Amino acid sequence: MLRFLEELWLLTGRSLKVTLREPWAVIPNIGISLFFLFVYNAGLSGIGQLPAFGGVPYLAFILPVALVSGSVGGAGAAGQALIRDLESRYFTKLRLTPVSRTALVMAPMLSGMIQLVAQTVLILLVALALGLKLPGGLLAAVGVVVLAAGWGLGFAGYAVGTALRSRSGRTAQAATFIFFPLLFLSDTFVPLTLIKAGWMRVAAHVNPTTYVFDAMRSLLAHGLVAAPLLRGLAAIVALAVVTLGFAVYTAQRTLRDA
Amino acid sequence: MATLAVLHGQDDSEQTRHSPAALGSGFALAAQGLRKRYGDGAEALCGVDFAVREGEIYGLLGPNGAGKSTAVQILTTLLLPTDGSAQVFGRDIVRDQDAVRRSIGVALQETGVDPLLTGSEALELQGRLYGATRRAARERAHELSGMLQLEDFAHRRIANYSGGMRRRLDLALGLVHRPRLLFLDEPTTGLDPLSRNALWDLVRTVRSESGTTVFLTTQYLEEADTLCDRIAILRAGTVVAEDTPSRLKRRMRRDVIELEPEDPAQLATLLRLVRRSQPSATLEREAVRVHVSHGATIAQELLAAAAGAGIALGGLRVAPPTLDDVFLELTREDGVTDAGEEA
Repeated sequence: MLRFLEELWLLTGRSLKVTLREPWAVIPNIGISLFFLFVYNAGLSGIGQLPAFGGVPYLAFILPVALVSGSVGGAGAAGQALIRDLESRYFTKLRLTPVSRTALVMAPMLSGMIQLVAQTVLILLVALALGLKLPGGLLAAVGVVVLAAGWGLGFAGYAVGTALRSRSGRTAQAATFIFFPLLFLSDTFVPLTLIKAGWMRVAAHVNPTTYVFDAMRSLLAHGLVAAPLLRGLAAIVALAVVTLGFAVYTAQRTLRDA
Repeated sequence: MATLAVLHGQDDSEQTRHSPAALGSGFALAAQGLRKRYGDGAEALCGVDFAVREGEIYGLLGPNGAGKSTAVQILTTLLLPTDGSAQVFGRDIVRDQDAVRRSIGVALQETGVDPLLTGSEALELQGRLYGATRRAARERAHELSGMLQLEDFAHRRIANYSGGMRRRLDLALGLVHRPRLLFLDEPTTGLDPLSRNALWDLVRTVRSESGTTVFLTTQYLEEADTLCDRIAILRAGTVVAEDTPSRLKRRMRRDVIELEPEDPAQLATLLRLVRRSQPSATLEREAVRVHVSHGATIAQELLAAAAGAGIALGGLRVAPPTLDDVFLELTREDGVTDAGEEA
């Protein structure tokens, strides 16, 4: 076990190191998240006056959208890191070492998670600078980071699974477009009660992202409240079980005989 | 065996404990009836057997597509065989992959190195992945950089390395954990003659200094000849010959002469003429081909004979046997005619 953790740490460290050497692979993702935050907050904050928002400032309402988009991007970076190694065939070199196969597949995910957490903290700090109030204090902030990381982990499983399956940067990139319906077929901009299209409400109910948004919003506006938080965590666990299962299954197949 | 264990340090004490029978046999690597059929039905290996003795430099020689890479990938645990089995120091390559991976070093065409790392970073990480402490890994990286003349570039990113430097780094990465068996897949393909000679020297040094067994694949007869103690010749997934280079060469006559008449209609006449002194002459495409021990002398005689018979020659080739000639020679022994030869 100790050996496994050491291997995981070594491989994750390598992955982070090379990511920092090519920062332009990461910066656009942070840029997009901050852009969402600025633009939607600046353009839409007036609707926060509506009674449906229950007095929650629009900044606290829209911040989770920036965080979730950032975490999905960070998770996509995990898939991209793996694709890079597959394409440079460094991955094959690593497969020749006696390193645990699980560590080989988990390292890019963990490195993606670390990037994502750093990014989430950065976005939170920007939001605080923009005037975000945190009634729940530090605990709420930590909760938000945990939710973002969990959601990102679920997405990382998907990204790594498709990367291993397709072994092509383009296909893996294309697969991340699932991000759009996940992010936007939800109560992204306004509470569900303000969404009039029936199909959209159905989609938002089915979309697990909705529960993550709601859990984050509840944390930001009211601190720790059990019900929305548990629903959000349940959505995260459900997604992670499916996608990590997919990643492990694909890894076992491709690592056995590739 | 005891001396080997001492030379290789702690890794081997474990191996000695676990596989005394295999060490007693004196084979570093053995394969029995190894087969590989790919998903599309293509059969890359059709039942390959060989045994590599400890301390030997063993060459798997064959043209592109003969199955060399498939064989190496199976033996190094990257691919699963469809059938048959193989052992590295007595450890099964399918059932005991971890033990196999620990005892082999590999420089494969199918692998690469992260171009964003520096050479020394890649070497250090490699060492640590085999369980070395940070300090030991750093020292070993330094030692190997020196041995493979990579010091000047050790702190540059691998993206900036030349082909020869990458090849040396690859070899260094394969040697980090002092493996007892080193796999080299076409180690000099694409290298200039100078780098090629340097690499050959390195392989010899590695063997002589640490008793490492070397298993290499190559498509160059010369490489197999100068470097290997024994060679297996692989053709279309089958070993067609296995012997020492000198004995294999004795089996094939030295040089190849090819005579091509200006007028193709005279091919049969030319063949009859050549066969008077060289009964083994054959017809290959548009030329008469003969394997002889003294190419230059016989060529002179044949030229004179052709001139005497009034046959104008359009082409003449006198050359030492190429790999293709070796194959033609070997397959002829089997009674098979192979029309595929070099352009």
